Amino acid sequence: MSSVKKTVLLGLLISQALVLSIIESWIQIPVPVPGVKLGLANIITVVVIVYFGFREALTVVVVRCVLTSFFGGGGWMFFFFSAAGGILSTMIMSILYKTGRNKFSLTGISIAGAITHNIGQLLVAVFFMRDLAVAVYLPVLLVSGCIMGFFVGFVSNLLVNALKKTKMY
Amino acid sequence: MVSGDDFVTKKFFVFALSIIIVFLFTSCTYSDVAPFESRDYIMGTVVIQRIHHNEAERISGEVNERIAEIEAKMTINKPGGEINLLNDASGEGYVVLGDDTLYVLDKARYFSDVSNGAFDVAVGPLVKAWGIWSENPRVPRESEIDELLKLVNYKDVLIEKDNDRAMLKKSGQVVDVGGIAKGYAADEAIRIYKENGVESAFVSLGGNVAALGGKPDDSPWKIGIRNPKGPQGSYIGIVSIKDGSVVSSGEYERFFEEDGVRYHHILDPKTGYPAKSDLVGVTIVSDLSIDADALSTAVFVLGFEEGMRLMERIDGAEAVFITKDDEVYITDGLKSVFEFKDESKEFEYVEKR
Amino acid sequence: MLKKGDFFIILIVIIMIAVSFVGVSIYKGWEDDGHKMALIIQDNKEIKRIDLDAVDESWEFTVRGDYSNTILVERGRIRFKEADCPDKVCVDTGWLYKTGDMAVCLPNRIMIKIEGKPEDVDIVTY
Repeated sequence: MSSVKKTVLLGLLISQALVLSIIESWIQIPVPVPGVKLGLANIITVVVIVYFGFREALTVVVVRCVLTSFFGGGGWMFFFFSAAGGILSTMIMSILYKTGRNKFSLTGISIAGAITHNIGQLLVAVFFMRDLAVAVYLPVLLVSGCIMGFFVGFVSNLLVNALKKTKMY
Repeated sequence: MVSGDDFVTKKFFVFALSIIIVFLFTSCTYSDVAPFESRDYIMGTVVIQRIHHNEAERISGEVNERIAEIEAKMTINKPGGEINLLNDASGEGYVVLGDDTLYVLDKARYFSDVSNGAFDVAVGPLVKAWGIWSENPRVPRESEIDELLKLVNYKDVLIEKDNDRAMLKKSGQVVDVGGIAKGYAADEAIRIYKENGVESAFVSLGGNVAALGGKPDDSPWKIGIRNPKGPQGSYIGIVSIKDGSVVSSGEYERFFEEDGVRYHHILDPKTGYPAKSDLVGVTIVSDLSIDADALSTAVFVLGFEEGMRLMERIDGAEAVFITKDDEVYITDGLKSVFEFKDESKEFEYVEKR
Repeated sequence: MLKKGDFFIILIVIIMIAVSFVGVSIYKGWEDDGHKMALIIQDNKEIKRIDLDAVDESWEFTVRGDYSNTILVERGRIRFKEADCPDKVCVDTGWLYKTGDMAVCLPNRIMIKIEGKPEDVDIVTY
């Protein structure tokens, strides 16, 4: 793939991730940690991991975080939280994908990604407040991460299968 | 859409999901059924109730109503009620009174007698002169006090229980049951709890505590004994009780200052002035709150030596004495349930006399 | 759709959920008859401690940092009433009243936390 094509495709994917971020920001999660969201944007992350790799996925995630934080009005705080969760989950998902493409389905990987995303955010919150108190939300976040991960995996599967057919990649 | 070897994975997933859902549900029911606690302002003081019962809210309302009713019947600081009727007819003739008023009056007279006048139900004229419960307390002149002392004599309170009536012998005499009405109200609260099938509760009526049963896990209620020198809520010891009442009296409760001298609210019916006691605080533990209420006042006025003697004569009631020398003594019957715990470290617990 | 390794992932997740759930339950179970204390923590320092069970009349106060928050205190509960921070997650959190409840205004580095204090007395006479 030429680098121009790559840049264009990644740009497209980033904008798609942004749109998903905006959509999911309409749904409120009752947890007092900023940046905790459904994780729809992870769908894009998964697709990037499948078609490109860890570095590209990381880029997409970070750029997405920067854009949503500073143009969506969240500021540095928001950025740190989304980035923490995003980077951690991207790492985990990439590792799982690379080492165990056969053992893990995209669904499983997405679940792992969603879980680690939430854990990452919670860790930053705990570190930031220097207080374990926020950790009481861990069970709830894990459960919702599981459910959302399943959904994200499902959609990712569909997406990947559909994209295969277009032979764009 | 969903491919291949799916039945097994589907089953597993359903299983996994159901476990998650079960967790979610148990987290809902896990939330503690917290006891009902209410806080209201009645009878000129804060009334706290803690009730373990599913109709706690309704029951607490019933109790609050009863307390307001008692105040209305027995107050001398507001118009209306039966005690006012009795006082207004002083020196004239018998007044018919309701059962509860009669009961309270009788108890007051009994404790006046038992304490030899240290607690005197007829102390009303002095209370009014000092304006203790009013907005403007004052120091009456000595001549005024000498005159009023002539009217202060519990023996002039004549009660005919069979005829449901009572009278005050001399004109101008005033009966004040304020010193035990809170105790009575607390006992009434316990009665209402019992009538409603409550097994675990307590009420604090302006610091008068009455408990029903123990806690739901059957452990006793832990009642803190007010630290007379500390802020409200601080304590020097803990009494563990199941069923019973704990009432404290002390000069810290209510006082005013005039010309640099502090006057507290517990009058000595024999001198007409605030009791000069060697005690800073007294706490009585007894079955009935009305008894504890009367005794706490009486013992405070009597002071340590005589107060201790009085408590030894009375069955079924125990006491904690806090002296001006910062010493804490207790009657023997309290030993097994009293725990000395003074974080201010100002007091010393003296175990043998 | 699901492969072998997925079971493994799901199993780990379930274990994590169970463990964290138990941990949180224990933390919350410590409450037991104590008074609900609301702690206001700013910049990691406790700046105020409010006994929610002793509140008679509602009152509010404002905390200023990089932003300002108005906190509303009522008997038995507390919340962020207003905030001029960008995300207003704190205000959206709503009322706090149980042990472990909390609201956080991260831009302003303020946290309200409900802490249940196990007390050795149920009530004190006076």
